Amino acid sequence: MMIRAYEKDVSWQAGVWAIGVHLLLLAALLLSFNWKATPPMLNVAEVELWDSLPALEPPLPVTPPVETPPPAVVKEAPPPPPEKVEAQAAKAPEVDIALEKKRKELEQKKAAEQLKKELALAQKKQLAALQAEARKEEMQNSDKLLKENKANETLKKLQQEALAEERAATEQAVASDKSAKSAASTGVVDEYRSKIQAKIRGNVNKSLCATANPELKFDIALLPTGEMTGLPKLLKSSGNKACDEAVERAIMASQPLPVPTDGLAFSQFRNLKLTFRPND
Amino acid sequence: MTVSVANDMSIFSLVAGASLPVQLVLVVLILTSLFSWWYIFIKLATIKRAESSAEEFEAAFWAGGDLNKLFDSLGAGRRKTQGMASIFEAGFKEYVRHKQQSRMEVSDVMEGARRAMRAAYNRELDNLDAHLPFLASVGSVSPYIGLFGTVWGIMNAFRGLSNVAQATLSQVAPGIAEALVATAIGLFAAIPAVIAYNRFASSVDRLSVRYESFMEEFTNILQRKS
Repeated sequence: MMIRAYEKDVSWQAGVWAIGVHLLLLAALLLSFNWKATPPMLNVAEVELWDSLPALEPPLPVTPPVETPPPAVVKEAPPPPPEKVEAQAAKAPEVDIALEKKRKELEQKKAAEQLKKELALAQKKQLAALQAEARKEEMQNSDKLLKENKANETLKKLQQEALAEERAATEQAVASDKSAKSAASTGVVDEYRSKIQAKIRGNVNKSLCATANPELKFDIALLPTGEMTGLPKLLKSSGNKACDEAVERAIMASQPLPVPTDGLAFSQFRNLKLTFRPND
Repeated sequence: MTVSVANDMSIFSLVAGASLPVQLVLVVLILTSLFSWWYIFIKLATIKRAESSAEEFEAAFWAGGDLNKLFDSLGAGRRKTQGMASIFEAGFKEYVRHKQQSRMEVSDVMEGARRAMRAAYNRELDNLDAHLPFLASVGSVSPYIGLFGTVWGIMNAFRGLSNVAQATLSQVAPGIAEALVATAIGLFAAIPAVIAYNRFASSVDRLSVRYESFMEEFTNILQRKS
């Protein structure tokens, strides 16, 4: 019923072909899906958070951190020259094309004139005049070329100067940044460490800890937003379970913790080992 | 933050993870695709055969031999005659039969032969047209079936999101990917079916025109003979 009587002899072959086509499709699907299975997706979340940092509370006035000098002031001067350079550079190719055209025309003229030479002597004078003209034009052209070369050279000089200025500016900025950072990093880390401790201390139920002022150590993994990626790990217990739990609760309650907005300084806070004395 | 990543995105896990309606749609589509490709290859072979046999028969017919001999040689073959040969056979048989009853008018003889040829022609055309409606409906319907599966799958994928506080792409992506497989297979079934339908329809048209003109010419020859 599905196939006619006269089709029976080709039906087997056709069936094999049909199955072959589908196997081909399956192979294509398998291959293409295997390619897409590999890319890791876990790191994406970590990277994206850097861009959209929420403004954290301003640093405490007690110990103002060493501000890095703003490099923007130095950087703003150089940009204008490149625009000029571009504008003038854009003109140059047009002129070149025109020159080439003229040259080609001249060449054609010359060829035609040499033909004429053989034909008629009377036109010699005219020819000479024309050739002179051509030479004149060529001279003019070469003059133009020279001028252009000069212009190009000056442009290059300008560009190089601008580049050099820019480089110097960035180097300065980087240098000042570096010096500031090396000086400040330890200070900044200490400062934020004490800020974190202060914030946690405010949330600790001190009555649960003995008056002996025990020392606790926690391992905290932080995000740039100041939130923790997991539970704080207790490294060194105070010996009192109630006190440990109270401090842990306090750490959880004081999220988001104050962390530096600067990426370099923050790297020290990604895995923070925090020592903490509840009764300080 | 809980990050659930579907690492295993192979086609098998996608299909296995799909909901039942989507799986049904996939099965239906794969079956229709298999059948349509099967018919495509069958029709490719049979139409090619019909064309070449028409060519052969026309060559033999116009070679100018004796029609009785041609008729005998056709009948001698084991197989049932097909295409143009069967039209000729039917017409010539009818003509000879009528001729043996000597009292018949020429116009009646011709009319009888024509009718016989017309009947054979219709049978041939029916054979040529076989499976074309199937290909046409696969071409027009299977994208919709695939789309139905996709919509169903995506609906499921989004319904799963409603219970989650923080929606991430990795929670919907597998569902949508698995749903899109249905559309892909639907298109894979539809595109060749449409192309094949158009091609075969035009080939059948050309063949039928050829058969018809042969019928006219053969009628003329018979009329001249009688």
